[in-house]
Amino acid sequence: MNKKILVTATPLLFFIVLLMFLLKGLFSDPKERDSALIGKSMPSFELPDLMNEKVIHSETTLKGEAVLLNVWGTWCITCKYELPYLTKLRQEYDVKIVGLYYDQNHAPEFGQYADIPSIRVEVVDMTNRLGNPYLYNILDLDRTLSLNLGVTGAPETFLIDKNGIVRAHHMGDVNERVWRDKLAPIWNEMN
Amino acid sequence: MIPELGNFALYIAFSFSLLLSVFPLIGLAKDNRRLMELAPNLTLGLFAFTLIAFLSLVYAFLTDDFTVLNVAQNSNTALPTHFKFAASFGSHEGSFLLWLLMQSGWAFAVAVWSKTLPAEMRTRVLMVLGWICVGFYAYIITVSNPFDRTLPYFPVDGKDLNPLLQDIGMIIHPPLLYMGYVGLSVCFAFAIAALLSGNLDSTWAKWSRPWTAAAWGFLTLGITIGSWWAYAELGWGGWWFWDPVENASFMPWLVATALLHSLAVSEKRNAFKSWTVFLAIAAFSLSLLGTFLVRSGVIVSVHAFATDPARGVFILILLAIVIGGSLLLYMLRASNIQSVGKFKMFSREAMLWGNNVFLVAATLIVLLGTLLPLVHKELGLGTISIGEPFFNQMFAIIILPFAMMLGVSPLVRWKQDKLNKFVKQPLIIVLASFVIAYAWIYLEFGDVKGAALLGVFLFNWIVLFTAVELKQTLAKVSFTKVPMSHFAMVVGHIGLAFVIAGVGLTSQYSTQRDVKMNIGDSADLDGYTFTFNKIRNIDGPNYEGWAADMTIYQGGQLEANLLAEKRYYPVQRNTMTEAAIDDGFFRDLYVSLGERLPDGAWALRVYVKPYVRWIWIGGILISLAGLFVIMDKRYRNRNKSVTEGALA
Repeated sequence: MNKKILVTATPLLFFIVLLMFLLKGLFSDPKERDSALIGKSMPSFELPDLMNEKVIHSETTLKGEAVLLNVWGTWCITCKYELPYLTKLRQEYDVKIVGLYYDQNHAPEFGQYADIPSIRVEVVDMTNRLGNPYLYNILDLDRTLSLNLGVTGAPETFLIDKNGIVRAHHMGDVNERVWRDKLAPIWNEMN
Repeated sequence: MIPELGNFALYIAFSFSLLLSVFPLIGLAKDNRRLMELAPNLTLGLFAFTLIAFLSLVYAFLTDDFTVLNVAQNSNTALPTHFKFAASFGSHEGSFLLWLLMQSGWAFAVAVWSKTLPAEMRTRVLMVLGWICVGFYAYIITVSNPFDRTLPYFPVDGKDLNPLLQDIGMIIHPPLLYMGYVGLSVCFAFAIAALLSGNLDSTWAKWSRPWTAAAWGFLTLGITIGSWWAYAELGWGGWWFWDPVENASFMPWLVATALLHSLAVSEKRNAFKSWTVFLAIAAFSLSLLGTFLVRSGVIVSVHAFATDPARGVFILILLAIVIGGSLLLYMLRASNIQSVGKFKMFSREAMLWGNNVFLVAATLIVLLGTLLPLVHKELGLGTISIGEPFFNQMFAIIILPFAMMLGVSPLVRWKQDKLNKFVKQPLIIVLASFVIAYAWIYLEFGDVKGAALLGVFLFNWIVLFTAVELKQTLAKVSFTKVPMSHFAMVVGHIGLAFVIAGVGLTSQYSTQRDVKMNIGDSADLDGYTFTFNKIRNIDGPNYEGWAADMTIYQGGQLEANLLAEKRYYPVQRNTMTEAAIDDGFFRDLYVSLGERLPDGAWALRVYVKPYVRWIWIGGILISLAGLFVIMDKRYRNRNKSVTEGALA
């Protein structure tokens, strides 16, 4: 064996190490953060109400009663399908539902700003048509709370107990099956 | 019907790639000429059927065939026709079909222009390209078929193309970039063929050099236009973001640049042999790695396509086989290569070796910066992000010695040169470059900033040395006798000088202001007065919105009339800022329209960006260098030797 092979083998070894990381990266589950979040307190925040920027909500507003926090936006197609079912939950099971609204297009670093008045119009229009499950909506314009909650898209749903502890997290729409199998047991336990 | 035809053509093309990867191999093993000579014809079939598949997809887009899933998700009846065409490669599936079209196109081009190559070499090169094709075609057929149907329940209208992609830049940027990426597979195939045959003399370098130059020229142009597109379309005046996907295109470019220089040494001096082979493998490997990063969702980026783990796994396996296999072959074969060309510490070879060291170091920096966040996370150390400051700082360090060397090297002789010849002239040029740079910046901007001074100094240094070198060359031979590849070097180096000066100046002296304006208001910035004349409604084919009419004066002189738009695309419910730009050789004036404020005023952002255009002018000059290399007589003479061969 000549010595030069040690040199010419370096790229291959480097590549194999890289390959292992890429493989691991491919399967590393972004949902891992869930387990870290559940059982912890809601991250602290101070955010305005969607309909009235003078009303400020914080993590303390959520305490005292168990709530279902629903992350959504009018731009999100799946959220539209979810609205009627959430409304039903509110009406039939008396679930307290709070919306966490974020705007997809708000990106100040790209020179794009959310047009809040027209968002309000859209929200009212959509909830009139499809049902309004929300007690109120928190506007998370800079997505700080969503980020702290580990939200990766919309819709996502959190169950928060009366002490402000996150008890469940669901990605995707809440429908009858998800409610029955995943969320209802935890909800009933919380109340 | 047409989509089925396309689908069918894709399967036939896949069969051709299988045949292309097997028959020549048997032919080589049995020394059967007829089997070997099948390779070029199989390549023609591969290309022809891929073209049919691609045209079928374009047809589906142009005719609004929403029974095709890909069309339904990426087009809309209201989309203008030229964007419908662009939409056919705006999605993951469509862009991959374009990739295949180019892959088969390059293979076919090699088959056409390689008739003078020894039959065995030609067969090997085409066979290696066939192997690559098998992987890619298998990928598109199994997990990424662009002809999947929405039947039986198809939508009446499509979801429209992402508005960000509705720009002329989007029509030309991806094809150019892919031409570059895929083109690098040709020199890869030459390198693998040379390794397989064990015959790594200077001839493979000579054969593969024009191909490498062509691919590299496309890659350069693709990156340049991508940068311009980001500047014009993202609406905030940036032109390079060190985004993982940009990095993914920049890494193969850096390595391909190193490869071009190293090929010159291999060809002319028979040195750097195993190193050149390695670079050829690395350049294509990095373009594959880039594809993986963009399409697997491993790394988050604004460019990322919709992700699907099955695709990620498939590409990763492909990566493991192609890159792993070729590096293994390299390990086994390259260890036996003896470099024969001898050279001294101070010689053209040494200078080009230095060039390669810097370019590879730059590649490693980009690779590190791109992948470290991933590695960090997977090691359980939490998420980190590596941003612009890291890259900017590292490149600022590298560029000084690199560009200084780049200026001098063309004057240094092959094999050995006398160092003491290079004392007086560089001293004069250093001084002249510095004085000119200082005076230039002081007179134009007043405040002299370090990074800008560095940029302009290097610009002067490269331009002056290039002029000296050109003068020396023309003293020896007449203008028409100078080989085109020499002009390639000149134009490429000058192009880089433009990029460096542009980056230095625009990064330091660009100014911007966020202003709140009512109709009739004016805002001053950097000696320019921006006046907001009126706002009007616009009504485009698939969007609506507002346009702000602005006039810009400088010292009472009208400079520009601009229309900055804010567009709303109802189908995608997306708002887009369409910046208005007055471009100039020395400065760009840039206006982007923000939102309407509750009191009826508008938020606007205005920029003055001096010398930003030099970056793209430089990029275009650099890509011209690729064209000039191909035009070099040494590579063109082939046709003549074909006829000579036929006569003999």
